[in-house]
Amino acid sequence: MTWSCEQTEARLSDYLDGLLQPVEQTAFDSHVNTCERCTPLVASVSHALGALHTLEQVEPSPRLVDAILTATQGPQTWRSAKRWLRGLQSPRFVYSVVSVAATLLLILTASGFSLRKPKLADLAPATIYRRANSQVHLVYAHSAKFVSDLRVVYEIQSRMNENEQNPTVREGTIPQTSPSKDPGRTDGTNPATPRQQNRANDVGRNLQILAAECPLLSGSFGERSLR
Amino acid sequence: MEQDAQLVQQCLQGEGSAWEELVRRHTRRVFNICYRFTGNRAESEDLSQDVFLRIYRTLGSYRSAHGGFATWMTSVTRNLLIDHYRRTKRDRVTDSLEDKMPVVENKESAGRRPDEQALLGELGGQVQSALTRLSPELREAVILRDLQQLEYGEIQTILAVPEGTVKSRINRGRIELARVLQQMGVRPS
Repeated sequence: MTWSCEQTEARLSDYLDGLLQPVEQTAFDSHVNTCERCTPLVASVSHALGALHTLEQVEPSPRLVDAILTATQGPQTWRSAKRWLRGLQSPRFVYSVVSVAATLLLILTASGFSLRKPKLADLAPATIYRRANSQVHLVYAHSAKFVSDLRVVYEIQSRMNENEQNPTVREGTIPQTSPSKDPGRTDGTNPATPRQQNRANDVGRNLQILAAECPLLSGSFGERSLR
Repeated sequence: MEQDAQLVQQCLQGEGSAWEELVRRHTRRVFNICYRFTGNRAESEDLSQDVFLRIYRTLGSYRSAHGGFATWMTSVTRNLLIDHYRRTKRDRVTDSLEDKMPVVENKESAGRRPDEQALLGELGGQVQSALTRLSPELREAVILRDLQQLEYGEIQTILAVPEGTVKSRINRGRIELARVLQQMGVRPS
């Protein structure tokens, strides 16, 4: 196969890029080696391509990026402000703010600070500490009383369960109370304090409710309690 | 490329930092295409700015399924360069002094001897000058293929012409460049 000058020129880039098939390469070479017009053409284009490849990347001015950003997004200060405002919308920031607000509210509530009638004196650290301390002790006392009541009720319930399961010991296990006194009181003695009296009354009421709900025990202390 | 698509998505969601990152990643590339096409640094910086402004406004029209972001961006750059060429065609009478002056190349220049650097700088200036004398169709084809090292398929997408036309333009562009360089006295040794 022999190529013409036009064919050779048309496939010159393929030759330079190494894209010719072996047969085409042979035809190209045989023509170029014998053609006085194509030999210098291939040499000059090859040289031009080599020169093109020596061109290096040109660095733009360092101000170009800033100029582009200013043209598209506005001045640097405005971009920073927008970025800052956008940061406020992040879920993490919102959670943090809510957590801090909830904590502050908790502390203020615990210290007895009135949101309806706020006073600057109420925000004094000593006042906050004193009130918080008082609140904590109050909560502790209420909790202790609640737990104590629960224990009494639980004790009564467990005794009643035992009696149901084993009726032979019913007489011995049921607490004997005086007919003339309310349940929970000790025999022959008055409560030492009103608080003890209240507690005894609470226990008595619980016993009455339990006796009403458990007819099995109506023959023992149940009847007496309801009386 | 995936990172570009991700950054574009973030930009569309209003994240300014993503746009900033896109600009930083591609400024050099856009500027070089503009510079090799116009041969003028100040003009290239203005054009680069216009390119990014147009990209910023039309970012919503970019579809990653139709090609990479770099290809799309190069296409926008090319269109703007052609517009600019047509707009300023009447104004161009002679090349300015600045156009003829070789620009100092920064990359890898530190490792060369001064005489090599001078020769390369001189040759680079001559090649740049020869490039700007090519017709815009041939110039853009040569720049995309031989300076931006793009594949034929990418160039086909950017220029929106068949692959045969792309190959033909590159071939004719190289031959024309060699002829201009010979006219300028730059011959193979």
